[in-house]
Amino acid sequence: MSFRNWAAAALWALGLLGGSLPAAAQEAGGTFVFIVQPEPPSLASYLSTSGPIGLVAPKIYDGLFDYDNDLNIVPALAESYDVSEDGKTVTFNLRQGVKWHDGEDFTSADVQFTVMEVLTQVHPRGPNTFREVTSIDTPDDYTAVFNLENPAPYMLRALSGYESPIVPKHLLEGEDLRSADLVNNPVGTGAYKFVEWRKGQFIRLDRNEDYWKPGLPYLDRVVGRIIPDASTRTAAIENGEVMYGAYGAIPNIDAVRLRDIDGFSVTTDGYSMINPMALIEFNTTTAPFDNPAMRQAMSLVVDREFLIENIWFGYGKPATSALSSNFAATGLYAEGQPYFPASGDVEAAIAILDAGGLTPDADGVRASFTLDLIPYGEDWRRAGEYLKQALQPLGVEVELRYEDVPTWIKRIYSDYDFQMNINYFYQLSDPVLGVHRQYATDQIRQGTAFVNSSRYSNPDLDVLLDSGAQEPDATVRAATYGEIQSILAEDLPVANIFEMEFLTVYNDKLKDHATSALGAYGPFDQAWIDD
Amino acid sequence: MAFFKLFARNRGALIGLIILGVVTFLAATAHLFFPDDPFSLAGTPMSGPGQNGYLLGSDSLGRDVAAGIAHGAKTSLLIGLLATLVAVCVGIVMGALAGYHGGIIDNLLMRLTEMFQTIPSFIFAILLVAIMKPSIESIVIAIAVVSWPAVARLVRGEFLSLRNREFVQACHTLGMSDTRIILGEILPNCLSPVIVIGSLMVASAILIESGLAFLGLGDPNIMSWGFQIGAGRTLLRSAWWICTFPGIAILLTVLAINLVGEGINDALNPRLRERS
Repeated sequence: MSFRNWAAAALWALGLLGGSLPAAAQEAGGTFVFIVQPEPPSLASYLSTSGPIGLVAPKIYDGLFDYDNDLNIVPALAESYDVSEDGKTVTFNLRQGVKWHDGEDFTSADVQFTVMEVLTQVHPRGPNTFREVTSIDTPDDYTAVFNLENPAPYMLRALSGYESPIVPKHLLEGEDLRSADLVNNPVGTGAYKFVEWRKGQFIRLDRNEDYWKPGLPYLDRVVGRIIPDASTRTAAIENGEVMYGAYGAIPNIDAVRLRDIDGFSVTTDGYSMINPMALIEFNTTTAPFDNPAMRQAMSLVVDREFLIENIWFGYGKPATSALSSNFAATGLYAEGQPYFPASGDVEAAIAILDAGGLTPDADGVRASFTLDLIPYGEDWRRAGEYLKQALQPLGVEVELRYEDVPTWIKRIYSDYDFQMNINYFYQLSDPVLGVHRQYATDQIRQGTAFVNSSRYSNPDLDVLLDSGAQEPDATVRAATYGEIQSILAEDLPVANIFEMEFLTVYNDKLKDHATSALGAYGPFDQAWIDD
Repeated sequence: MAFFKLFARNRGALIGLIILGVVTFLAATAHLFFPDDPFSLAGTPMSGPGQNGYLLGSDSLGRDVAAGIAHGAKTSLLIGLLATLVAVCVGIVMGALAGYHGGIIDNLLMRLTEMFQTIPSFIFAILLVAIMKPSIESIVIAIAVVSWPAVARLVRGEFLSLRNREFVQACHTLGMSDTRIILGEILPNCLSPVIVIGSLMVASAILIESGLAFLGLGDPNIMSWGFQIGAGRTLLRSAWWICTFPGIAILLTVLAINLVGEGINDALNPRLRERS
C-alpha cells in the first residue's frame, strides 16, 4: 500500500469517526481541463452551430430548458411552462433572481429579444425551430408568452443552452449581431463565466459565484485546451493533462485502446439529442442521379457493416430509413424500409440498374462521376476510397475529390456543382429540427450550408412534412412520419449510411459529467473531480 | 565509358544505382506482379506481413501494402522526374537569360527568384496544392514552382562566368545570334552541375510529394507512398506494417538517388577527378 493509499485510508477513517464525510461526496474545487477541437471560430453560439462552439458556449449560456438522459425536460431558466389546449400558446414562467455574469438581472425581455431578434434572424437552425412563433408577449418580468401560428411540439425539444442559448438583451440591442463584442466575450447566466481566450492555446472559464443553482457548480475552473494534433490529444488524455475529449477528439482507434486501460472510460452517451447520421447526398437534377434507380443502387451496394467495422471500429449502426432508429423512442421511426441492406447487395443493385435503363456501354461502364468527400478527416477519405472500390463491380467509375472546408461547402451548397457527396447530418432531437431541412422544397436555400442540396422537391412530401411538424397527436404524427419514410426510401434523394456513434473518452476521476442529454454540449454544472 | 569508370569508383553510387534500378524495375512491372488496382479491397483488413497471403500485410480496408508500394513506386518516380524536368527547364531559361544579359533583366529575374526563395518551399507547395485542388498535375506544378529558383541561380552563375570568355566573344564577332550562343555554346558547357542538381532534385521532389500525400494533399485517386503512410499513421500502434514498409521504400529511394547524384558529381566534376 503506497503512502497515498495510507493517507486516503486514514482520511476515510477520520471521516467515519467524525461522521462528516459521506461516502461519495461531491468535492468542491479543482480545475477541469477538456479538449476543444478544432479551435472555435467564435464563442457566439447564437450565430453558429459549429461543433467546437458547442463545447464551450453552453457552459456560459443557459437555455430555457435542459434535458436529462431520457430526454425529459429539466427546467433551467424557465421554471415551468404551459401549453394551451390548441397548442398555439406556450407560456414560460421564468426563474427569478437570475443574474447575468455582468450583474444585470435576467428578465423576460431577454427571452423575447433572444428569440425574435437573434435566434430567428441569425441562428442557422433558429428560423426553423421558431418558425411558428409570431410574437412573444412579456406581461411581466418573469413571464414569456409565445404566440404560435400553428402548434409546434418540436420547439420544446430545442430549448437547451446549446440549441437556443438565451443572450443578454442589454449587450446586444442596437449592436451588429455578427460583430458585437459578445461574439468573443460571452456574457451568460450559466455556471461558468468567461475569463480568457488565448488563441491557439486555451479558453478559460471560472466558477460563477452567483449561479442560480445553489451550491453549484463544484468546479473552480473549466479550461478548454486547443490541441490540433490527434496523437497529442490522445497523449494528453493518457497522461492526465486533460480529462475529457468528445466528438471524435480522440480517434476511435485510440479510444478503443484507452477503453482497456484502468482509469479511463469511453462512452457513446450524450449524443442522443444530436443524432448524427452518415449519408450520401445525390444531385438529383443531373445525370446519373436524376434516375432513382441509380440512387437506389448506391444505397443497395454499400456494405454498411464493413464501413462501421473497419473505419469506425465498430461504433455505429447501419441506417435503415430516412430517420435514425433513435427516433423509435418517440414512435416516429418506421422500420422495414427497402434498399437498406446492412451488408450490401451487389446483385440487387445490378438488377435495379438494368431495370432502370442504366446498362453498361461497350467498356462495361454504366456511369462515371465524381464523388466529393466531407473534408472532416481521414475516416471520410477511407469511406470514399471504400465506395470507389465497392462501385466497381457495378460498372460505375468514380473519381474522388477532397477539398478544403470552405471550397467544399461552396461547391455543395452554393454552386451545386457535384454529383454525389459523402456527408453527415445531425438529425437532432426531432425530425422537424434535423431532418426536414434535407428534404423539404423550401429548404433548397442556395448558399445556406447543410440543407437540401440534392434539390429534391416533392409537393406530396412537403404536405406530409408540414402536417408532421404541426400534428400534436403522437399516433397521427407517427403515421405521417411512417408515410414520409416510405416515400423517401423509394426516392432516396439522400441515402443514409449509418447512425454514427461519437465517442467521449474521459478520465474516471471526472464525475457527474453526463447529467444532460446534450453530453459534451451540456452545461457541466454538476461535474466534479474525485482526486 | 570513361564516365562510367569514374562513376563506378564511388562504391556508394554503385549501390545507389542498383537500388534505383530495383525501384524502377518494381515500378515498371507493378502491373505484372500486382495486376489489380492497388486500392482494391483485396481481403481481410489489418492482416500482418505474411498473413492471409499478404507479403507485407494489408491496411485498415484490406488493401495490399505490397501492391501499394509497387504502384506507388511508379507515382513517386513519375512525379519526381516530371517535376524535376519542369523545374530544370524553367530554371535554365530564367538563369540563362539573367546571366547572359545581365543588367536590368538580371536584376528583375533575380529579385523574382529571391521572392520564391524566401517562402519556405514545403509550405509554399502545400499552399499551391490546396489552392489548385489535389491532383497529379497540381502536385507536379507545385513541386516545380518551389524547385526552379535553385537551378536558375546556378545557371546564372555559370553564365556569368562564361559569357566573357574568349570563345563566347569569338562567337559574337562571328555574328552568331544570342539564342544560338546561349543554346549552342554556353549551355553545353554548364550542363554538368545542372545534371547533378537535377538528380538530387528528383529525391527532394519525391520527398515533397510524399509529404503532401501524408498531409492528405495527394491525388486521392492515385496510390503513392506518402498516401500509404498517411493512411496508416493513426494505426501505427496496432498495425506497424502499414506505414513502415512504404517509409522504408521512400528512405531507400531517396538515399539511392542522392548516392547516384553524388556519383554523377564525382564523374562530371573535373576538380574531383583525382579524389580517391
